Amino acid sequence: MDTLTVLCLAAPLLAAALLWLPASRPLGLRLAPWAALPALLLALAAPIPYEVDLPWLLLGTRLGLDETGRVFLLFTALIWLAAGWFARAWLADDARRHIFAGFFLLTQAGNLGVCLVLDAAGFYGFFALMSLAAYGLIVHDRSPPARRAGRVYLVLALAGEMLILSGLLLVADATHMPAAVACLILGFGVKTGLPLLHVSLPLAYAATPIPGAAVLAGAMINAGLLGWLRFLPLGEAALPGAGSALMLAGLLAIFYGVAVGLTQRQPGALLAYSSISQMGYFSVALGAGLLAPELWPLLLPVVVLYALHHALAKGALFLGVGVAERCGASRRVMLGLALPALALAGAPLTSGMLVKGGLKAGLADLPAPWAELLAALLPLAALGTALLMVRLLWLVGRAAPAQRTSASVVGLLAPWLVLLLALAGLAWMMAPQSLITKALSLGAQLDAAWPPLAAAALCAIALRLRWRAPMLPPGDVLVPLLRGLAYLRRRAPALPQWRIALPSGSRAAARPPQLESQLRAWGTAGALWLALLAAVIALLAGTG
Amino acid sequence: MSDPWLPALVVLSSLLPGLIIFFLAESRIRLRTTLNLTGALVKLGFIGVMLWGVQNGREYVFRHTVLPGLDLVLHADALALLFVSLSAVLWLFTTLYAIGYLEGAPNRSRFFGFFSLCVTATVGVAMAGNLFTFFLFYELLTLATYPLVVHRGTDKALRAGHVYLAYTLAGGALLLIGTVWLYGLAGQVDFVHGGSLSALPPEAAGQLQLIFLLLIAGLGVKAALVPLHGWLPMAMVAPAPVSALLHAVAVVKAGAFGIVRVVYEVYGIEFAQSLALLLPLAIAASITIIWGSLRALFQDDLKKRLAYSTVSQVSYIVLGVALFGPLGTMGGLVHLVHQGIMKITLFFCAGNYAETLGIHKVSEMDGVGRRMPWTTLAFSLGALGMIGVPPLAGFVSKWYLGVGALEAGMPWVLAVLAASSLLNAAYFLPILHRAWFKPASGSWPDEKIPQRGRWETAPLLLIPPLATAAATLATGLFAGAAFSPLSWAELIAVREYLAWIP
Repeated sequence: MDTLTVLCLAAPLLAAALLWLPASRPLGLRLAPWAALPALLLALAAPIPYEVDLPWLLLGTRLGLDETGRVFLLFTALIWLAAGWFARAWLADDARRHIFAGFFLLTQAGNLGVCLVLDAAGFYGFFALMSLAAYGLIVHDRSPPARRAGRVYLVLALAGEMLILSGLLLVADATHMPAAVACLILGFGVKTGLPLLHVSLPLAYAATPIPGAAVLAGAMINAGLLGWLRFLPLGEAALPGAGSALMLAGLLAIFYGVAVGLTQRQPGALLAYSSISQMGYFSVALGAGLLAPELWPLLLPVVVLYALHHALAKGALFLGVGVAERCGASRRVMLGLALPALALAGAPLTSGMLVKGGLKAGLADLPAPWAELLAALLPLAALGTALLMVRLLWLVGRAAPAQRTSASVVGLLAPWLVLLLALAGLAWMMAPQSLITKALSLGAQLDAAWPPLAAAALCAIALRLRWRAPMLPPGDVLVPLLRGLAYLRRRAPALPQWRIALPSGSRAAARPPQLESQLRAWGTAGALWLALLAAVIALLAGTG
Repeated sequence: MSDPWLPALVVLSSLLPGLIIFFLAESRIRLRTTLNLTGALVKLGFIGVMLWGVQNGREYVFRHTVLPGLDLVLHADALALLFVSLSAVLWLFTTLYAIGYLEGAPNRSRFFGFFSLCVTATVGVAMAGNLFTFFLFYELLTLATYPLVVHRGTDKALRAGHVYLAYTLAGGALLLIGTVWLYGLAGQVDFVHGGSLSALPPEAAGQLQLIFLLLIAGLGVKAALVPLHGWLPMAMVAPAPVSALLHAVAVVKAGAFGIVRVVYEVYGIEFAQSLALLLPLAIAASITIIWGSLRALFQDDLKKRLAYSTVSQVSYIVLGVALFGPLGTMGGLVHLVHQGIMKITLFFCAGNYAETLGIHKVSEMDGVGRRMPWTTLAFSLGALGMIGVPPLAGFVSKWYLGVGALEAGMPWVLAVLAASSLLNAAYFLPILHRAWFKPASGSWPDEKIPQRGRWETAPLLLIPPLATAAATLATGLFAGAAFSPLSWAELIAVREYLAWIP
């Protein structure tokens, strides 16, 4: 078992190393799609709980799996495996596919490590590897939008890293708990797309090649969630302030994501807003856990199951969008896309219905006014999600017919089908019996059925009346923000000449700032020195 | 107390080859190289023996009385060996690199002679057992480095050398005043665990605070504390191996190391804390960290950017020293080693770009990753390590500095660390982006070494940065292993704090 654990992390890294040398590159490319297989095997086979200590690694690393870690590792490995095979077919004609594969594997190693690691420094390490290497996936096609997305992503990711590091250091000390919780919520919130920290997601998802976007949206976003689960004092201490704030942020994200998502024209950007909205559910659940620690034991299994469901659904949606783009939006493809779309909307008999029912039950015992508020808002949110999914299907379905490439259709279809199957079955297989019984009752089925039906009806009306959604640019608030910065720079040339790109050989290089040259001036240094000397002599005279 | 001669032999192992090299004709390349490498390897051998001994509780002391009450003491304790091992290992790599770098250049005997003297002085600084000995070697270091800084003999180099000399001699003078004053007050001040000044009467506190200021100012010149850092960015006109020496092996390190000695083994960390000296030191270090990073952002000249980065990074060591508690100490001490390994990698690489393709500016680096993938890989590891990306060396330092700051009750230091890391990212990542993700813009400024088969540049230029880059990865990745710099720093911290923990 220990060998398998080490292999989980070594396999992607070794494959990436093989890609470095031109001589071993073909071998590396051949091995790359398999790299997540050991992790999948470990998730299936490991005894729970399982731990292995590697005291010589980093600051003393502890790897292992608990129930939460196992589920995360399972869906993470599955999505990486499917995306790896998908990428092989998707990028078959790409001259730079080995570069994509290299970053893909590094990101993968980081992401699998995050699921496996149990100590803070190790978690931070794998998280950083994942976040930084993903930059290479986002900018893969080197187009201006991709570069812009990469820059925005990197700036936010680095800020997040620093918050996470501070949070991880602070959380060890009980006196700094509020600051630690704030740092952790915001730091991991960059990944999970908390409102205002979400701006990089739509840009990145739209710019990244489909297999990369599938892992960004399916696997990596949940690493942020896992960070919250691992390090926030959930179920231990009542933190009403932080809990309420997180719940409010979650509710905002749920509706904001839907609202802006509906205005999108690119499937990738729309799916990003869908993710922002879906991650809002986790914020609400975790906020509830901070607010009322006694609810957490009930909420945790549901949250983990929800993560599994959302990850697989998002991964399947992205791969499906890719299949439709390359093979044409035929009826069968649209049918395949409809499954994850329905699951996200929580339609009857899907995994979405199962987890949403569980979440609703878990949140019902919250103190007033939260319970009432959520009871009123969650059905509306379900309707919103359903609308968003209908919009997605419509966008994909009316898109231009496939651009024929030499990519093998099987290579694209097979990984997608695997994810669809997993989505249809896994959540039900892993759910506790009580949850399943409740979900299969007639009332629950009816509850789940109306939002998709209502959404379909609304859309039929909208189509008939030819409503057109307004168009908001992906990244919404980022756009006025950047414009504001540009305006400021024009109006106030005295400000430092920072581009969002950060300077690389800027005009300001020529002249050192005033203070620097003053300090450097001989007169100043000499005078300071003499003054110091005089003081010393005076002192010596005084003591003598 | 076995074998007092080992510390002396370590000093002699670079002094003797250096002195012989001065008298060699330019053309005796093979003999010179043999002498250089033999000296470096012999030194490493002696150090290996002492590392083993100190690990097992032995100490090596060489004492020679110059005048009554004025001893020349070489003392190889754990702290000394941290610095000695670092400089000896990096000296070996720098020598190899310099041989490749200066191939066919004039005045090589002079260069390598002073090069060896410089390392001799550094080893002496590291093993000095009292302030007097420290001062001697510290000044020797200044004098031995000057000819290296002006080696090219251009106007610019001479001016930089002038500034360098003015700054460091002034710093030396401050150090001398402080030392003499302290000797007058307390007699001969040996470096001992826990310091020796706490025994002085309480009336002396005011004087001791002033002496501390003098000593730190004197040392701070070499350690490039703001506002005493002006010489360092100018000195980047020196050849790349000299820059590596200034920034990673010898000069700035000697300053930072002196601060470590003064705080821990002259004053004693607890006594320094009770005199309220640590907080000002931490603030000075923080200002330097941020200021250096801010200045680095605006440099287009690659070596200048790296120089300002050094200003910032060396102060991490000072910051760690100023954090009261063993974890902060570990963070500062381990960064002494980590900064050296990472920065020498970066300077080697900068030298490679300049020597191979004539690239001196960041704006000329577009697409260089494709032409020189190995050099750029090494550069990337060094740069990411500086930012503090795990599992590289810089991350370990930052983690311990952060934990140490909380232990010392200074949570604001976390904000300094975070801001500095972001600034580091802001001036290093655009370089990496240019090198790896941008297409090359036509021809290189001045391609001197063409691609030969697999070799993107001369082998002697390529191997040292790859080795130190691998060390950057290894020291971070295996920080928890025995004999890693971190475990050694832990050993020192335990011994420093045992001196006053009952």
